[in-house]
This record gives sequence, structure tokens and C-alpha cells, in this order.
Amino acid sequence: MIDLLQVELKRTWIQFIRYPLEFVAGLIITTSVFYGLFISAKYMAGPSFAFGDRLDAVVVGYVLWSLNLYIINDVAIELQSEAQTGTLEQVFLSPWGSTRVFFARAIASLALRFALISAIVLILMTISGSRLSFPVTLLLPFLSLVMAGYGFAFLMGACALVFKRVQQILGIFQFLLLFLLAAPFEESTGLMQQLRFLLPMIPSSGLLRDLMARDLGLDWLTFGLALLNGVAYLALGLWVFRWAEKMAKKRGSLSGY
Amino acid sequence: MQLVNRPTTYDHPDPGKDSTATAAEKDIVLTTRGLSKAYGRGKKRFEAVRDVSLTLHRGEVLAFLGPNGAGKTTTIKMIAGLVRPDRGQVIVAGADPHRRTRALRNIGAVLEGNRNLYWRLTPEENLEYFGVLRQVPRKQAHRRGLELLARFGLEDKRDTPVQKLSRGMQQKVAIAVALIHNPQLLLLDEPTLGLDVEAGETVKALVRQIAQEGRAILLTTHQLDVAEELSDQVAIIRRGRIIAEQSTESLLQEFSGSTYKIEIQGPLPEEQRRRITQLGAVIEGAQVTYSGTPESLYALLAALQPLPILSVQRDRADLTQVFLKLVQDRQDSTL
Repeated sequence: MIDLLQVELKRTWIQFIRYPLEFVAGLIITTSVFYGLFISAKYMAGPSFAFGDRLDAVVVGYVLWSLNLYIINDVAIELQSEAQTGTLEQVFLSPWGSTRVFFARAIASLALRFALISAIVLILMTISGSRLSFPVTLLLPFLSLVMAGYGFAFLMGACALVFKRVQQILGIFQFLLLFLLAAPFEESTGLMQQLRFLLPMIPSSGLLRDLMARDLGLDWLTFGLALLNGVAYLALGLWVFRWAEKMAKKRGSLSGY
Repeated sequence: MQLVNRPTTYDHPDPGKDSTATAAEKDIVLTTRGLSKAYGRGKKRFEAVRDVSLTLHRGEVLAFLGPNGAGKTTTIKMIAGLVRPDRGQVIVAGADPHRRTRALRNIGAVLEGNRNLYWRLTPEENLEYFGVLRQVPRKQAHRRGLELLARFGLEDKRDTPVQKLSRGMQQKVAIAVALIHNPQLLLLDEPTLGLDVEAGETVKALVRQIAQEGRAILLTTHQLDVAEELSDQVAIIRRGRIIAEQSTESLLQEFSGSTYKIEIQGPLPEEQRRRITQLGAVIEGAQVTYSGTPESLYALLAALQPLPILSVQRDRADLTQVFLKLVQDRQDSTL
């Protein structure tokens, strides 16, 4: 399995950098889009924008949104593009089983994306003048967030296997995700305060805002619930993905697009 | 002529030949039993594959032939575990790929209409990647990849991204990738399609070599001359059903006529000409055409004495004729 991770990392990296112009253009576009989003939100909402109490929280929200958007699109887009180019069936011929292969791929592409996002965060911090803190405990809610994110990634992957064209679902999902990640549910009161633990990724993103923007310590109980949330959505995603693979094999539509 | 699916030794071992049957069974790499697959529902339902049973031994090449839409690709994909059969079973080297992913360690495939490779990666990188994907340890995959590149004459292209290689080279890399995990069964869907003559010849030579190593190869092709050249066994599928499965040689024999063409040198004297005509032969210039049993052919040859005989040829059917005849006969019988 370590070998599989290694070769997936290598493959992802090579495919990313083999054409340097594409690589640089990708980097510039991602950062520009990110920056554009950031200043337009500031312009439209003014200082009292409801994404967070402070500008720092807005930055955290954007970063998470961008990273999760990438994670969630990852499996589905990879599936679609491989079906188009004709390598998907070779992947499904792996004795590792498709779930493990796509999981290794997801981790590899996350590592790459994480490096990219870290660079963008640094740029954004410089632009916005916000100073985020990065305590080690940050990794824990990040882990639970990514787990839930991958749960959704596999759900979207399942949609791609069964319905083939998922661009529209992915498009709509971007906005839902922005809402889920950027809205400060952790500040809500009443029933929503409890219900937020059932919604995907929300407990983790709240914790991350606490740690990075509000300089609060990690609340272990909340983290426990956030982890449960992550595990549950990941398990759901994997389960549905396996079901979708069976369906696609039954319909004989694995490579179709 | 009635051709039926040959019973396999796996299904019906001959009790009188126990030891032979056991040895043959040991050599079996692929068995499919009663594979069936239908797509769609209600009025749109159609049976793509019906009751397909095949057996393939080590070192054998089975050409799987059929018109477009006959069910070849569906069958290959069912064997590879990519399409789930409605009924029937696939056993590759003792394991069912639909139940145990372990069975996939013994399947290599080059699928038609697919690139089968990552075009941005070089052949060396593709081989290492797919090796690990097939559960070969990374270092071993790398080493074996280099060996395969050397063997396939691609050493100097090992660092060139696949998309910059010619179609023939890409196909060779795809076959090398399919062999990286040393599988017992190789599935080749249209391996020579779209290749120029030289590349086609190279791929054919590779297929022969791979079979000689003891691997079983199942190949589909529309180029019947390729099938005739490469295959030991032929299975012809039409509308999802196998209409013929036997050794290529015996199939060709069965369809070959009993007409002989004899080329002679020099004019035939009138008396000799009369005797030859009496034996049922037709003389056209320097060629004598004769339809009869191989035994009575000797009487004719004796009658030709002492004229020099330049050649004696039996009309031999080629696979194209056999294929068309079988497929058309079936069409007529179903009308």
C-alpha cells in the first residue's frame, strides 16, 4: 500500500509538472481566482460580512472552501477524465480494488494541493494583512474535515460512475459547499447548535476557525464529534462508491462517458 | 455442416484418460462457463452474450472472432471482471475475478478504444506505475519494466512521454504494461488495429513470443489474416452465441475443398489427355484441375507420367472464407 501511495504521488506530480507552462498558468489562475473572490467579498459585504467575525475567519473560510472543493471534485473529475482518455478500465483491473486505488490517489492529490494551498494562504495573508496562527492541534480538525470532504468526493465519484455527467451537480455543489464552510454555524444558537454536528464538515470548519482565527484552544469534545462526523461521511461515501462500482459493472458502463 | 461448442476437458474429463485430463486441467488458464449478459429492460432488452463457454490452455492463442456487436468485447470484459455477467462463471488461473480481486493478478489486458496508458508519463513511468497498481513491489516493477522495454526494442524511448510515440510504439508499450505483473492470461482486443504494416508485423511477432512463454492469449480482431496467422484455436461468436470453437487448423481443413490444382510442363499427348479427362480432371493449358479423394489423386498423378509436375496444390480455405460462410449460413438459417 505504501508503494501504491508512492507511485500515485509520483504520477500526480509528474502529470502536474510535465508541462511547466501549464503548471505556472494553473498556479497563477488559482491564486488570481482566489484573490478575486477575496477582494470581491470584501467589496460587496463591507467590514460586517457575515462569513466570519473577522477578516481572518473569512480567509480561513475561503481556504477551506477551495481545498474542499478540490477534494470533492477530485474523484469524480478523475473518473470522468480517465473514462474519456481510456485508462479507467486499466485502473479497475487492479487487484488492489478501485476504492483503495482512488483513496491512494486522493491522498496523493491532497498532498500536492495542500502544498499549493499553503502557498496561497501565505500570499493571501500578505495581501489581506491578516495574521493566522497555525498551532499543531490544527491538524486534528483538518483531518476530520478532509475525511468528510473525501466522503463527499466518493459520493460524487459514485455519481460519476452511475450517471456519467456530473458537471452540473459539481457546479451546484460549489455554492452549497461555500455555505457549509464559510457560514459560522458554531456561533448559531438553539437547535442549530446541536444539528450542526450532523451536517457535513461544519463541526470541523468551526473548530478550524476557532484555532486559526479566534486564537481559541481545541475543544476536545467538539473535536470528538467532528471526527465522528468525518468518519461517518467518509464511510458513507466509500459505501456508496462501492455500490456504484457494482452498478456500473452490472450495467457494463464502467468506461462509458 | 453443424458446428457445436466443443466440450472442454475441464467440464467433462474423459474417464479413460485420467492422467492426460489432469495434465490438461493443470494447463487450463481460462475457463468460462455459460456466460450470459443482457442489457436494458423490457422491450429495449437485448442479450449481448448467451451461454458462452470457452477454455484456454497455457501457451495457446484463441482468436475470438465475430461481426461488430456480436458480443466479443462484452465477453472479454466479463473475463476481465469489468462487466458483471448475469449468469455463468469465469475462472482465471483457479480464481473468479468477480469474487476475488486476487484473480486480477493473472490478467493482463489491452483494451480496444482505450489508450490503456498515461500519455503524459514515459514508458518507464507507465510500467512502474501499472506494475505497482498490479501489486508488484515498486523496485521489482521498475526492474521488470526496463527488461520489457529492452525486449520490446523501446529502450531509447524509455524517457519519451507516451503521447510523443508512434501508434505502433504506443501499442507495444501497452502490451508491455499488460505483461508487467507476469500474468498467465493476456487479453488483447484488436491488437493490430490502426497499425501500419511494419508495426502490425512487430506486434504479431510479440504475440507469438508471449504465447511461447506459456501464457494464454485471447485476442479479438477484425483482421482475419492476423487471426489465422496467430491463433491455435478459433471461437466465432454471432449475436452473442458461439457458433464455432475448434482448432484453427481443423476448422480450415473442414472448410477446405477437395479440389487440387496441378501445374505441368509441356503439351499433353492426345491419348494421355483422354485418360486424364476420363479420371474426371479438367485440363486448361498447363493446369489440371481435379476434384476427388486424396487417394484417387495418385491415379491421376500416375496418368500424368512422365510429364514434369511443377506444383500440386490443394484449394485451401482461409479464415475469411470460413468466417463469412459460418456467419452467413447462420444468418440464412435464422431468416
